[in-house]
Amino acid sequence: MAADAPHPAFEGYATEAVPQAAVGSPGKDGVLELTFERTADGTTLVHDYATVPFHVSGTLGHDPHPDADTVFVQSPTGGIAQGDRHDVSITVEEEAVAHVSTQSSTKVQTMTCNYAAADTTLSVGTDGHLDYVPEPTILHADSRYVQELTVDLAPGATAVVSDVVVPGRLARGERFEFERYLSRVRGTGPDGLLFEDATHLTPGDRDPTAPGVLGEFTVYGTSFVLAPHRDEAELSDALHAAVTDGEARAGATALPNGAGVAVRALGDRAETVQATLHAAWDHARQELVDAPAPSGRKY
Amino acid sequence: MSDAATLESFRLADSFLPVGTYTVSYGLEQFIQDDRVDDAADLEALLSTYLRRQVGPAELVALRAAHAAATDGNLEAVCRADQRLSAVTLAAEFRESAKQSGDRLLSLQTDLCDEALLDRYAERVAADEAPGNYAVVLGVATALADVAVRDACLLCCHGFVTGLLGAAQRLLSLGHTDAQRILNDLQPVITAAVEESADRGIDEMTPFAPLVDVLAAEHERAERRLFAS
Repeated sequence: MAADAPHPAFEGYATEAVPQAAVGSPGKDGVLELTFERTADGTTLVHDYATVPFHVSGTLGHDPHPDADTVFVQSPTGGIAQGDRHDVSITVEEEAVAHVSTQSSTKVQTMTCNYAAADTTLSVGTDGHLDYVPEPTILHADSRYVQELTVDLAPGATAVVSDVVVPGRLARGERFEFERYLSRVRGTGPDGLLFEDATHLTPGDRDPTAPGVLGEFTVYGTSFVLAPHRDEAELSDALHAAVTDGEARAGATALPNGAGVAVRALGDRAETVQATLHAAWDHARQELVDAPAPSGRKY
Repeated sequence: MSDAATLESFRLADSFLPVGTYTVSYGLEQFIQDDRVDDAADLEALLSTYLRRQVGPAELVALRAAHAAATDGNLEAVCRADQRLSAVTLAAEFRESAKQSGDRLLSLQTDLCDEALLDRYAERVAADEAPGNYAVVLGVATALADVAVRDACLLCCHGFVTGLLGAAQRLLSLGHTDAQRILNDLQPVITAAVEESADRGIDEMTPFAPLVDVLAAEHERAERRLFAS
């Protein structure tokens, strides 16, 4: 068994050698570390470290929240390739408010061997708030991608974590031609596991458009609004009302262990799913930090 | 299995078992309301999704863990499987339904059987230290009655399907023969769901049916409804 396979389903792939730059060589093992702290001037990015394919060119000050700081992570590459192993750690210290996103969609390129993986750890300190709302992940034909995301919340901390997956380059008629996609999102608090959500799609083995799975929809996204000290039933109803008018089919439900609310949205295009989740994010942010969500515009 | 174990499994699989099956539809009511299910073929396809995407990768994994833990007399491991199942069940109504039927089965079993493990588990559930999910209670109950784990998994699927078929008969014009035909046709799907759950530990519960979650969220707010989920 290959030592680094994150899941048994990926063990076979892990044994396949990568003909170009090997697993772990420069450019293949991107690391991103960001730490935000509360200072006299509001939130400040006090530590940042990025290796290819991640690039950070500083912070942006356009957040409607007066004390928030924003980082749009850039990539000088064409996307994620076979053999890539990415490691992202984002820390928001006590009372800081940070928004982290990507500049454009993450494109997982076609693969002929091995797989690509990303490991993301988010941690939010006491009374801090993090919005981790990256652009969608696009799964090109024959790609194999595994992402693991853990968000840890200190007492009083809140977060909005979103994930949108597009099952192919839809405009060119490519859909559900990737080989395997596994995404796990795990929330933890001072008492341990709060919730875990897994998306495991293998279109060649099992029809993702089965009734009750994705049905007639193609693009799928979830926003986790994490606020363990809030009344989750009330927040769930409010977020549900915020997402039912949109073009995407969406609904909100209270997460287990009082962790907050999950909003799921299904649509035909990434834009409609993102717009619906943005409406939920906007409402959640007003509830949690008393400021609207920043506009989704990146250019 | 001994005659006693076989009879116990019949009793637990029977729709006569008073665990409130008639109050739950696991989102089926909303699928019918939304015109996504209006005949036997639609219903069978949706039930296949439930079995392969929800019951198999979540409930059965928890049931297996609970069964093994109860066989070893390990209450902590029963509670871990129970907590884990709640943590991966994102639809609030499904957690609520699983807890309510679990609670009924647990109080029934503690009345019927004289088993220290059941009593201690019931204390944990009463103290809110374990959620008391139906699949976990069923895993404990079947293990204590010497019902083999594979049979317990089949029993769980059978109970789930007959429960939803009962709901469908009240929501759709579904005849008794159609209901039996679906139950019969789903046998290979049930077997597949049971087999796929076999090698999974409690860290590998991966239910995935986003459209079911969205419709369950709509059901939570539905104005007129017959079922609690």
